[in-house]
Amino acid sequence: MSFLITCPECGERSVYEFRFGGEVLQRPKPGAPAEDWFRYSYVRGNEMGVQTEWWYHRLGCCRWLQALRDTKNNHVVRAYFPGEPQNGEPQDKENEPLGHGKG
Amino acid sequence: MGTAKADGSFSFLFNPGLFKARTIHAGPGDTIAAAMFRSGIRIFTRSFKNHRPRGLFCMTGKCPNCLMNVDGVPNVRVCMAQARPGMEVKHQNAFPLLGFDLLAAAQKFSWLMPVGWYYKTFTRRRAWAAVEPWIRKAAGLAEPPPTIDQIADRFPNYEHVNVHTDVAVVGGGPAGLSAALNAAADNASVTLIDNQPALGGHLRYTPSEEVNLAELVERIQGQDNIEVLSLSNCFGLYEGNLLGVFRQRTTPDATEQLIHVRARRVIVATGVYEAPLLFENNDLVGVMLSTAVERLIGLYGIAPGRRAAVIGSGSRTERIASRLREAGIEVAAVVSLEKVVRATGSGKVNGLRTKDAYIACDLVVVCGHLVPDAGLLHQAGAKLQWDEVKGAFLAGDLPANVTAVGDVVGEGITPATVSPPAYPDSKRCFVCLCEDVTSRDLRQAVAEGFDHIETIKRYTTVSMGPCQGRMCQMSAIGVCAAETDRTMGETGVTTSRPPNPPVSLGALAGERRLPVRRGPLHHEHEALNAVWMNMGEWKRPLYYHADPALSRQGCLQQEYHAVRERVGVVDVGPLGKIEVKGKDAGKLLDKVYTHRFGNLKVGRVRYAVVCDETGIILDDGTISRLAEDHYFLTTTTGNLEFVVQWLEWWLIDTGWDAHITNITGGRSSINVAGPRAREVFSGLTDLDLSTEAFRYMACRQADVAGAPAVLLRIGFVGEMGWEIHVPAEYGVHVWKAVLEAGRPLGIRPFGVEAQRMLRLEKKHVIVGVDTDALSNPYESDMPWVAKLDKPDFIGKASLERLQSAPANERLIGFVMLDNRLPDDGSAIVVAGKPAGRVTSARYSPANGRAVGLGWVAASLAEDGREIDVLAQGQLAKARVQQAAFYDPEGTRLRM
Repeated sequence: MSFLITCPECGERSVYEFRFGGEVLQRPKPGAPAEDWFRYSYVRGNEMGVQTEWWYHRLGCCRWLQALRDTKNNHVVRAYFPGEPQNGEPQDKENEPLGHGKG
Repeated sequence: MGTAKADGSFSFLFNPGLFKARTIHAGPGDTIAAAMFRSGIRIFTRSFKNHRPRGLFCMTGKCPNCLMNVDGVPNVRVCMAQARPGMEVKHQNAFPLLGFDLLAAAQKFSWLMPVGWYYKTFTRRRAWAAVEPWIRKAAGLAEPPPTIDQIADRFPNYEHVNVHTDVAVVGGGPAGLSAALNAAADNASVTLIDNQPALGGHLRYTPSEEVNLAELVERIQGQDNIEVLSLSNCFGLYEGNLLGVFRQRTTPDATEQLIHVRARRVIVATGVYEAPLLFENNDLVGVMLSTAVERLIGLYGIAPGRRAAVIGSGSRTERIASRLREAGIEVAAVVSLEKVVRATGSGKVNGLRTKDAYIACDLVVVCGHLVPDAGLLHQAGAKLQWDEVKGAFLAGDLPANVTAVGDVVGEGITPATVSPPAYPDSKRCFVCLCEDVTSRDLRQAVAEGFDHIETIKRYTTVSMGPCQGRMCQMSAIGVCAAETDRTMGETGVTTSRPPNPPVSLGALAGERRLPVRRGPLHHEHEALNAVWMNMGEWKRPLYYHADPALSRQGCLQQEYHAVRERVGVVDVGPLGKIEVKGKDAGKLLDKVYTHRFGNLKVGRVRYAVVCDETGIILDDGTISRLAEDHYFLTTTTGNLEFVVQWLEWWLIDTGWDAHITNITGGRSSINVAGPRAREVFSGLTDLDLSTEAFRYMACRQADVAGAPAVLLRIGFVGEMGWEIHVPAEYGVHVWKAVLEAGRPLGIRPFGVEAQRMLRLEKKHVIVGVDTDALSNPYESDMPWVAKLDKPDFIGKASLERLQSAPANERLIGFVMLDNRLPDDGSAIVVAGKPAGRVTSARYSPANGRAVGLGWVAASLAEDGREIDVLAQGQLAKARVQQAAFYDPEGTRLRM
């Protein structure tokens, strides 16, 4: 594993500078059924293709970012800080899931 | 002995085993093999299975015929390793001598060991058990260095290096040199990786009329933006154009390096190598590839024989023959492969029998297949396709940002022999030199149904030896194709995987130049004779060797008793320290920690546990509320970074006003503990430290010895005590003031080991030592940390479920009933069956025997139950005790 992630703050960096934070998941609301909590805690999509993941730039800007990574070839399509506008454009809230989860 | 002379010549030792070591004279630029060959040594190793004598064969570091032990390092390819003054070279895989190897008896029994013999023979377990030790002894190439210490003193000779470059060119032959110059002309930074001591590739030993090598090299050297890595093998091409490069030491004092080259563009110009042809006895000493002969003549001025027979046809063979004549070698005959019957000789070659004649000779030169060295391209995802005209597998479909130039993509290949040629069915016709696999073995394997190149590989081990298929792949594919009536292209190649060529383990382990963190009190500890331990990247005093006359145990006893009876001080600087400020700070902590912190009163401290969503304990520490909007967190040393990231993560997208700052490096922290701890501070601070004014689990901010300090009254070691955090620059001053004030009281600095004894007596758990990745608060005997009546926190859903679910295991305390001390990690046994494990055990002076913590099945976790613990190799009786081993009511903490 030696792919590169383009950190929105620091630029193109080796994956060794980052800590993996798992797939981006939506945390159930308090009191949600046990089944939801089970899926959130234990079940992962493990997509063959592009999936959205958390990464923490521990040897750089020390910020959490989300990255769209193609698991077939480890190509990182895009990386961005959640909730921040990208390239001056407002973020498309529909397509960029926020929320939390530990992978 | 061992020193270089004025003309650059020097000597090293060849230790043949039984007899006196031989002095080998070498010249500048000699490889070990070249110098030894010049000294008349012909046999360099014995083959893996049949122990047949083997001599220099490829001279390019590809074949297995020159693996030797150099200065204790096994499996060095001496044809590539540069000779150095004073080195000691030994043979391997032969006993007692290379020339007289008793293990060669194996050859006589080779009929007993047909292909796949171990799969067929040892199908019954008892048969395998009987012979396994013998097979293990005979199997394997070379001995590892006998002790870890022997590696340890070689350890500083390795290092890892990072290189970032625009263009990486692999291969220093004419194609690589041109590519490097072209890239450099575009102002790109270029790294040129070449496995030879000098640039030029085959031009170094085969001068060309068309290319002026000296001029090319001069131009390369004139380019400031080209960095040349010579003697460097590129062993892997990974994602993101990361090249793994293994660099031999370039001078005797240099390090062996593992270089991580990150390039925007990679140009592969690895050229071709030569692979052998199939005929009977094709492995005899004195049978050599034509490139090996050219290199011996051209690079080292060595004539490899007196009278030669050349096998091959076409212009390349003619050129080789005239090269031999120029070097003064008589060329007795040039024969095409079809005419060859066998090479003759016992061990060393003494002739070549052809269909027409018998040619006496001491050298058989094989003009073999030219094989593109496309391993790197294959690894990078290129497809290898058979090219009928070139007679080679060529790489196509290259990945983005990788290009290939020169012979590796077939530019200069004119095959001397067209594949697949006919081959004899013989148990002396070696397809694979590494593992002694013959053409008969391959035929046998196909007959048994292994008719795919990948299954043949796994069944016969062809291409699985040290040459990684370079010598045998073309022949194996040829035989497989012929036996299964397929073409070379249909048969295909096996997969190339890194590392290719091999890398020494030392270089991989390397000295990685890991950072070391020394706290502000480091030099104080040093002056007090601290014995260090590594904790993560920190150096911490394990104990202080205060009295040279005392043993380690004696010192620990003194430290322990000082804390229990008087007062002790420990540096807790590496403890993680985080500030969380803002009006929503309490909200964030309520969400992330299992306890409630929004309602924590200013001036109070609370034990704090972090769980993940599945209810597993991730970390523990304390949280103090210094002001309404100001919390001070401590974490374990190892989890600091994680906790900071975890807090930041849960803050994302909440819009809460909370600011997380890691202040660990900015604070110097000590813990002063013991019944006389209060007296230490009487002259150092104006703060009222009385039991009523500064209770257990309270915190204050005040000056200590004039330094602004945060004081927490907590008691990890089980005595009255204060943890004091001051800005790092005041650390030494406060440490000295505390020692000075404590001197009349008999204060004593103590280390991590004494701290661990003290805390274990109190049954205080260390997260990550006494808990693991499956430990939840209920099973860890701390159900009170989970405040399930909070509306939400991380892990709540799981903890609700775990609270009512039956426990699988439980963390227990135990007291040993005799004098023995189990090691951490020992087994706990009940009724003769494994029932759990010890996580911590120490001798407890308060109990007069060892105590410990461990995990057992929940049904066994009853107070007073007797269990067996494996201690020093024997089972010893112990009794489960749920109460703390020292001061279970905690009265000493609250004094």
